[in-house]
Amino acid sequence: MDKRLKKIIEYVLLILLACIFIFPLIWMIASSMKPESEVYSDMGGIQSMIPSLNPSDWFTTYQELFDRFNVLKYVFNSITYSIAVTAGSILINAMAGYAFAKFDFKGKKVLFGVLIALLIVPVETLIITQFTVAHDLGILNTRLAVILPMIANMFFIYLFRNFFMAVPDEIIESVKLDGANYWTIFWRIVLPMSKPAIATVGTLSFIASWNDYLWPLMVLTDSSKYPLQVAITNINSTPPVYTNQVMAILTISTIPLVIVYIIAQRYILQGLGGSGTGIK
Amino acid sequence: MKSINAKHNIVAYSFLLPALVLLGLFLLIPAIMAIYYSFTDYYLLTPQDRTFVGFENFIEIFSDPTFLRSLQNIAIFVLCVIPVQVGAALGLALLINKQRRGNMFFKVAYFAPVVLSLVVISVLWLYLLNPSEGLINEVLMQIGFDPQPFLTSPDQAIYTIVFVSAWQGAGYQMLIFLAGLQNIPSDVYEASKIDGANKWQNFIHITLPLLKPTTILIMITTLIASFKLIIQPMVMTQGGPMNSTMTPVYYIYQSGFSDRLIGYASAMTVVFGLLIGLVTLIQSKVSKEDE
Repeated sequence: MDKRLKKIIEYVLLILLACIFIFPLIWMIASSMKPESEVYSDMGGIQSMIPSLNPSDWFTTYQELFDRFNVLKYVFNSITYSIAVTAGSILINAMAGYAFAKFDFKGKKVLFGVLIALLIVPVETLIITQFTVAHDLGILNTRLAVILPMIANMFFIYLFRNFFMAVPDEIIESVKLDGANYWTIFWRIVLPMSKPAIATVGTLSFIASWNDYLWPLMVLTDSSKYPLQVAITNINSTPPVYTNQVMAILTISTIPLVIVYIIAQRYILQGLGGSGTGIK
Repeated sequence: MKSINAKHNIVAYSFLLPALVLLGLFLLIPAIMAIYYSFTDYYLLTPQDRTFVGFENFIEIFSDPTFLRSLQNIAIFVLCVIPVQVGAALGLALLINKQRRGNMFFKVAYFAPVVLSLVVISVLWLYLLNPSEGLINEVLMQIGFDPQPFLTSPDQAIYTIVFVSAWQGAGYQMLIFLAGLQNIPSDVYEASKIDGANKWQNFIHITLPLLKPTTILIMITTLIASFKLIIQPMVMTQGGPMNSTMTPVYYIYQSGFSDRLIGYASAMTVVFGLLIGLVTLIQSKVSKEDE
């Protein structure tokens, strides 16, 4: 009996905690699936966690949101930025990691030391001078300005380097004897062998890019280039503001991340110390 | 031999080039420029009138009540969010680390907020915490409490942001703790059971010491990430009320980007950047000695 009571208490605690963690998400989705007036009349009752009782209301909010704002454009922008950053990040950081792992070149130790030291530089505080650099390069208000600064990442170079160190030199040597050049070796042999590293870097840079807010907000003035995160705050401050429409855009911007987390869950933990510490 | 080496160097640097150019443009040059600009009165719209002003910016920021307040706020935030978030994460991991029906569901539930972006959580909680018609106050009133001005009170706003941040991040750290817990071999516990240790003694003498490396790692990453707090206050409170949620990075953004005072913002960048760099160095020294 004592054991059963303990078990019940344990489950009550677990369920209460689960409620604390998921009720905001349920409220967000439920509120996006009901008319604006119901959002406020339901508040305080369990009804607030349930979509409209009339299924024909479920997607009306989304329809209204799409009519008022060019949501598809924002989704397209976010996907473009994230894919460009992810592809660029994998390629460029892997190339650098490969150079550090498999080449003996002049200045290697010094350069690697400098790059590791740069890991300490808090990038977020540099936004203002990064902005002046983008200004001087003349790329403000272009898609390039959103993408370029997110590509090279010392942490990812380090990750690739460690992975490539484990690739046996014999394999590279034997392919070299067959007459392959350095690029072919990298592109055809080394890169295909490093799928776990690619998946880790790819997942982390996709999430970081999808969630990026401050930098696109600074460099873009043309709203047709906004990614979703910037569009959210824009929609949330364009009168008239409807709560159900705001919840709909929040839900839409979360769906791709849910998919990425489900597909790539085992690579997300490997990025410990990278971008996903909750607070950024 | 020499020509091979020369070729080797060229190939290596051609592999490095794209990364080096981008890191140079968006990390190294901005860092150097920040130091240089911090000694000038650079105003974004009149770059040609920029003059050298010595330490004037630095003297000014240290008598700027908003900057000092932002330092105080970030100290409060860091000191509160670490125990709350890391403690919650450890607690959740301990609860979940047990063969039990439905564990998968609880794990997913606690992790769910991690999947939301900082902008999404900030906007979402802005609505939930609305003083007059938000869900939280509605529920508080129904169970007999007074409604609270969570984000509109200078006394509460920063702690509200601590709560929201911890709520989002704890699930991620829970997974890391869980991995750490599962790395503890079960025969250690069996041995202590034979010695007659109870659950609490097990926790203090086995679990905690063996989790120490994981805990230190999580605390360091939380600490460094917390220093950079900006999106939650930017979206939820705009640094207010009465600068009670103004953070250094947010103030740097406002001075440099909105007020266009590049020189002044650069001085803050240098001071605050050095502070974070210093903390990072100390932390990595301490954790290395620990190993």
